[in-house]
Amino acid sequence: MALSGDTAIRSGMNEDVALAAAGDASAFERVYRTHVAKIHSLTRRMLGSHEADEVTQDIFVRTWQKLGQFRGDSAFSTWLHRLAVNVVIERRRSFAIQRERMTDDPAALDFVTVAPARADLTVDFEQAIELLPPGAREIFVLHDVEGYKHREIAVMLHITSGTSKRQLHRARMLMRKHLDGL
Amino acid sequence: MKMHTEWTDKLSDYLDDELEAAERAAVDAHLRECADCSAVLNDLRRVIALAQSAAVDARPPQADLWTGVAGRIDRIRQPRRVSLTVTQLAAAAVLVAAVSGGLAWQFAPPFGGQGLRSETSATDDVVRALPGSPERGTREGRSADGGAAAGAESGVAIVGVSLADDQYDAAVADLERALNQGRGKLDKATIAVVEQNLQTIDQAIAQAREALASDPANSYLSGHLVEARRRKLDLLRRATALTDMD
Repeated sequence: MALSGDTAIRSGMNEDVALAAAGDASAFERVYRTHVAKIHSLTRRMLGSHEADEVTQDIFVRTWQKLGQFRGDSAFSTWLHRLAVNVVIERRRSFAIQRERMTDDPAALDFVTVAPARADLTVDFEQAIELLPPGAREIFVLHDVEGYKHREIAVMLHITSGTSKRQLHRARMLMRKHLDGL
Repeated sequence: MKMHTEWTDKLSDYLDDELEAAERAAVDAHLRECADCSAVLNDLRRVIALAQSAAVDARPPQADLWTGVAGRIDRIRQPRRVSLTVTQLAAAAVLVAAVSGGLAWQFAPPFGGQGLRSETSATDDVVRALPGSPERGTREGRSADGGAAAGAESGVAIVGVSLADDQYDAAVADLERALNQGRGKLDKATIAVVEQNLQTIDQAIAQAREALASDPANSYLSGHLVEARRRKLDLLRRATALTDMD
């Protein structure tokens, strides 16, 4: 157990998180249900819909395994989010996608289907994210959606800040091109 | 719209406040004069705003993923345990009955100890040449009956059963060791069934050996001994495989 209940309360740790860290699966289910939408959205945007379910499960299994390491120094959601990003990055590396992610493909959004008469803008935006080239998408999601800084992204992805900036701009320009069509 | 890429390439850094003061001032000056680049800037602002709104628009998965997570967590929390279904237990019982029943039938052959020919007697290695025989140590291409007949004709006699003894014993020992190591992953009922079946098969093997000692030329006993040993190996393999299941 990472923390006793009293310690958890003093440190501001969510009680369910503390119980889950102690091995309470029911508490962990509550933790899961609280955070699954955000984690699934992250994995869907970074990896695409086809991998999101499986990787989301991987993330929560990893969370269960590592809960004992959470000391409450930061918000649990922050800790979980970082863990999720790490799992996503590992997944991409494991499939050797990393090699391809900086591939220049400015025409990627040419394949975006024409939006229906008035589809929900958010859905089209989500679809456009999925159609970004992998490297640009990863950085766009981390920076513009998740709020990471270029220097943080550079460390996570083992790239330079300059590369992160260039890929972000490329992604924004591709997104702009798509949104222009609405 | 005319794109000035030398300027638009700076717009993301401009929006993110990543430009040096002088460079920022230059971009500002250009934007005041260029409607096209100003339009691009506004588009990029819109993209960023949509991304930020997406951050708070988290959508849950369409399928409930908790069942899968819970299943994997459960396997982490507890030592792996495997339960046999009633059907599997019944199948194991049938296996034992087949072995022991077949042997019992063979132990009391109705035809002067010769019994009926079994179609499945796998006795390639039941023949062992007598010391001094030119065929000593050879085990190839010989059926049970053929072996016996050949023994009668060439001086080779059946003196025991060897299912490649060294290899067989080593395989059985390895599997028994693996099973012992993994028995903690099986539930008690499964362990009991496996042990009972192994005990029954071992008894059948011992009885067959004993019977063969007094009737070494009985190819049916030899065949069934081979079959019983094969079944023991098979049961050990299956039981060991159960301990490896996730």
